[in-house]
Amino acid sequence: MTEAAATTTQPRVSGTRPSWLVVAGQELRDLWLSGKGLALMLAYTTLLSISTYLIAMNQELNFLEQREAVSLTLQLAVVVGALLVVLAAADAVSGERERGTLESLLLTPASRRSLLAGKGLAALSLWVGAFALSIPYIWWIGRDVGTFGKALVGGLLVGTLLALVVTGIGLLVTTFSQSNGVSLAISFVVLLALLAPSQLPAEAGRGWAGELLQRLDPFSAGLLYLERLIINAHPLSQDLELLIAPAVLALASPAVALLLGGRLSLLPRSGS
Amino acid sequence: MSVTAGATGQVGSAGAPGATAIETKGLVRSYGRRVAVDGVDLQVSRGAVLGLLGPNGAGKTTLIRLLSTLLRPDSGSFSIAGVPHTEPRRIRLHVGVLPESPGYPRSQTGEEWLTYHGRLYGSPRAEARKVARRLLDEVGLGDRAGSMIGGLSRGMRQRLGIARALVNNPRVVFLDEPTLGLDPFGQRQILDLVTRIAHDRGVTVVLSTHILAEVEQVCSQVVILNHGRVVADGTTTEVVRRAAAPRAGVVRVPSHLRDKAVHTLTSLRLVSDDATLDGSPDEVSVQLPGDEPVEPSAEKAIRGLLDAGVPVLGFSLEGGRLSDAFLAVTRGAGDD
Repeated sequence: MTEAAATTTQPRVSGTRPSWLVVAGQELRDLWLSGKGLALMLAYTTLLSISTYLIAMNQELNFLEQREAVSLTLQLAVVVGALLVVLAAADAVSGERERGTLESLLLTPASRRSLLAGKGLAALSLWVGAFALSIPYIWWIGRDVGTFGKALVGGLLVGTLLALVVTGIGLLVTTFSQSNGVSLAISFVVLLALLAPSQLPAEAGRGWAGELLQRLDPFSAGLLYLERLIINAHPLSQDLELLIAPAVLALASPAVALLLGGRLSLLPRSGS
Repeated sequence: MSVTAGATGQVGSAGAPGATAIETKGLVRSYGRRVAVDGVDLQVSRGAVLGLLGPNGAGKTTLIRLLSTLLRPDSGSFSIAGVPHTEPRRIRLHVGVLPESPGYPRSQTGEEWLTYHGRLYGSPRAEARKVARRLLDEVGLGDRAGSMIGGLSRGMRQRLGIARALVNNPRVVFLDEPTLGLDPFGQRQILDLVTRIAHDRGVTVVLSTHILAEVEQVCSQVVILNHGRVVADGTTTEVVRRAAAPRAGVVRVPSHLRDKAVHTLTSLRLVSDDATLDGSPDEVSVQLPGDEPVEPSAEKAIRGLLDAGVPVLGFSLEGGRLSDAFLAVTRGAGDD
């Protein structure tokens, strides 16, 4: 064996850095340095600017109270942030599969779960970026009503829980999707289905069935929590029971995705 | 060094204990009702360059994916460098693969990509980068280390793929159609690289290809698959001898002695029915008996002519190439 061969990387089962961190680092670089993440942030900022302008106009015309305006902006930031995260998570495996780059990753000793975990972390970074960008908007709209601090904490809490929920969903769908289009479509439909109860008229939320649905659906419960926090000026700790479903799903969804991610294969139905 | 293989299960000597790089026993893999790999028994020695041949749909890629742990076998077993198939993560430490149609991240540089994969094998970043640079030099891409992969030619990407297959210093390297879609110059570069890898690193190389000339050029051993089964195996010479030994030849004699030559060969029962070749008054077509080895029959024909006083100006056997053997053992295989 030549010197070159002898000094080549020696195989190791465990490295100096866990493989999920290595994957996350590379995915973050790919996402943010390739321009994809920045393009998404630009689109997000544009959307937030337009909506803030419209909300401010309504405020000027007294159609909206200032607290309502803050709540609306915060809810928009949380929902669009979740949308960005699910788009990235849904591309994580099926995108690699479609581009032919998955095979070389699966050939490494890194476990399937660590690949998924790293990719999931990178997808979550979009939420962090989106929330950071929304901070000035929330501050500007709510500058006179003293809700900035609560909005920040509440938004970060609810948004992170919902981002975790959709990350798990996106990873689960992408793991078993043959094509990227299918994965993105399914994930988007699931996101819409989760959002739907929060868009129902107020009457639908009355009665035990409506209330149960509102509490079980993570988006309805999370957005309702934010609404009460900002509009009703409830303290952060008052409606925490509303966050039970989002919190449980924020743990369960990625956990299930990682658990089933052990079956991640080159061909989704090969059973390998 | 030996390669013994067969769907019937005969496994020959593999040399010294521990010298086996790949061993499979009754390997089976199906996709639904279609059996892609059907009871493959293989034993490949360390350092061998094995040509894996077969028509489209013969099971070559599936076999490589099984052996590289991307697929699980339905039944049977295998080991790579002594590691059983039940330990796929350990096997992955010992194999390097250039897949059939590899994809590359277009927005990464070759160095970044190799460094990333090196780190996934557990190397610290600095060491992985050092290895990446060395490998890029080794495959002739040292001056393109910082170029985006999207800007590399197909041949360069294939060489980058081979570098990727070597990033973990594997004991067994699988190359699935490495010259597919390359021009002759690109093919030449890849084959030289394969030869160099096998020679310098002493690794076992499994080269799956449709181009038989490549196999004759670089492979010490050959396995031909058809419908998921091993239909021929051994050295190129052995495979050719068994599957497509030449049975026809042409003897060149002085034209005025041609009739005498035909008479002599007829008496030896070695002349073909149509002994006269069009436009060749000095040539006689010879048909060697199919139930006897080639060399003694040919010798018998030449000796008989010389004894009869007919000088033999030339003697050539027709056929006997790997392509003849390939066609003989895969006859009837469709493009499934």
